[in-house]
Amino acid sequence: MTAMKNATRAGLAALAMALATSVAMADTVVLTAYSGIFQENYVKAVVEPFMKANPDIIVEFYGMPNSAQMLGTLRAQASAPQIDIAIMDVSVAKAATDEGIFAPMDETVTQHLADLYPQARYEGVNAAGVTFDNLILLYNTDKVQQAPTSWNALWDAQYAKQVSIPAVPDIQGTTLTIITDKMAGGTNYIESVEAGLKRLEELAPLVQTWEPRPDVYQPISSGTAAIGIGWNARAQVYADLSDGKLGVVLPEEGSGFQINVIGLVKGGPASESAKKFIDYALSPEAQAAFTEQMFYAPTNAKAAALISEKALQRTAAGAMDRMIDINWLEVAKVRDAITEQWRRRVIPLSR
Amino acid sequence: MSAAPALPRAWRDGQLAVLLLLPIALINAIGFILPVLNLARYSFNRSRIGGGIEQVFTWENWVGLLSDPFYLELVLNSVWISLAITLTTLVVSYPIALYLHRASGSWRTFLTVLVISPLLTSAVVRTYGWIAILTDDGPVVSAIKALGLPAPSLMFNIKGVFIGLTEILMPYMILALMAGFGRLDPRVEEAARTLGATPARTFRKVILPLTLPGIALGCLLCFVLAVSSFITPKLMGGGRVFLLATEIYDQAIVTLNWPLASTLSILVLIVFGAALWAYSAVLRRLD
Repeated sequence: MTAMKNATRAGLAALAMALATSVAMADTVVLTAYSGIFQENYVKAVVEPFMKANPDIIVEFYGMPNSAQMLGTLRAQASAPQIDIAIMDVSVAKAATDEGIFAPMDETVTQHLADLYPQARYEGVNAAGVTFDNLILLYNTDKVQQAPTSWNALWDAQYAKQVSIPAVPDIQGTTLTIITDKMAGGTNYIESVEAGLKRLEELAPLVQTWEPRPDVYQPISSGTAAIGIGWNARAQVYADLSDGKLGVVLPEEGSGFQINVIGLVKGGPASESAKKFIDYALSPEAQAAFTEQMFYAPTNAKAAALISEKALQRTAAGAMDRMIDINWLEVAKVRDAITEQWRRRVIPLSR
Repeated sequence: MSAAPALPRAWRDGQLAVLLLLPIALINAIGFILPVLNLARYSFNRSRIGGGIEQVFTWENWVGLLSDPFYLELVLNSVWISLAITLTTLVVSYPIALYLHRASGSWRTFLTVLVISPLLTSAVVRTYGWIAILTDDGPVVSAIKALGLPAPSLMFNIKGVFIGLTEILMPYMILALMAGFGRLDPRVEEAARTLGATPARTFRKVILPLTLPGIALGCLLCFVLAVSSFITPKLMGGGRVFLLATEIYDQAIVTLNWPLASTLSILVLIVFGAALWAYSAVLRRLD
């Protein structure tokens, strides 16, 4: 009996020591990015392989529904940061940079900056592009028999009251405004999107909802709506889960990018390990793995060679020449004005 | 055995009350007063392009808000829609509350549980339920179509918000009405009937005046809940219904204009203050 007690004691002591050493050795990096499907796939494709290669670093993924909440949390923690890294929309990252939340993004953080596409770097933003996404056309394959090829399908009268559009201030609405403006003959979306707004006024009466919930993909998959707009990466994942009900098209007129950047929080608790993670996240291997997993286009030019043709075709990588170069920092300056026009001129026409 | 020592005299004279009130007063100060003051301070900051905040003292947000027809319409819309929803909720809840007040025994308990049971489900779930019922392919619109009538669009517009919020607020109204029905003695009604009053006259001259405190309480509660409701207008409004609460969400979470969101939040507090003032004015007149 005593022997058994002693054995138990020894076992417990060994366990306690093992736990203590592993805790002492492991550095915990807190990463905040989008919750839900993004978190699920990013952890699988990037976080887990990183932790396998760096057993002394634990990456904790702290998911939040949108960039604004990430900024709010970072603001609240400004004097004592608990988060080391944030992945967020580039225009929100600009605000975070202006408020001194992010440490400078340079060669001391990652060696991959030189390999990034020029669109992944923004002057005045202390963060580097980590994913490219683009606006696409979504349709329900039961309700829309022939796959549409143009954004003009949204204006097709046969889908009246079946169109689902996330309106401004959501940037899906902003991106649609810029695309529509270009299609209607607009030449400079910073100066004026008047041509696009006129065209959107014609779309308004056909719209079922300007605020699809929980997101735009579910109502179209289920057939509550017939056609709409959304982001490519999520649409591709949901299309695979929809039993062929959700169709995704990158229209022939092209599209615009949405850019997520990765930034190092100034004064974060695990900065050295965090730099290691950022370096890994921007590496060709991690970029390629995430594209295979969730169809965001890579921001590292060297990643494309590592990605299967099948996955690459489901991103905008093959249509770079048709993409509108949207400068989101410039758009931020006119965003309020565009929102105002939507609310006063476009949305009221759908009542 | 000696008796327990008596409390010091001063304690009995009110210091004890102060001591007992202190914890809740502290919690209130930290959890409510300070944040509201902070919110008020934010409404005088300046928002920078892209969501930044400049720590200054400016009246810009307030002047902008009060001189912009869009926001004035927003405030008026929120107030009148909430008033209309409150009134509808009152009209549909009053007979139920009166019936419950008069019922007795286990039947009354059963009905009361039935009335309260919607509160056990989250408003989000109930709102999604309404979306399924009222959507263009849903049972209500299908039934109207089957009758050969022109089918109205009941979802993703103000009608949807109206129907959804009315149902969601009904349990609150019924409970508030029942709480205020204490003065309604069945013998008074009987006396009125004995003296020859018709049922309608009894209701107008006896029942209604006696239940006014309950009505005032229910209306105040439902109005405040309607003005601040956010999930139902967001889910059922289809982005067409602009209300104070949804606008605060958009400005705080989507556009990142925290100073404007704070200004709108303080404005909501002012609306609540006005509602409370109206409520106490009504109560004073009733007394």
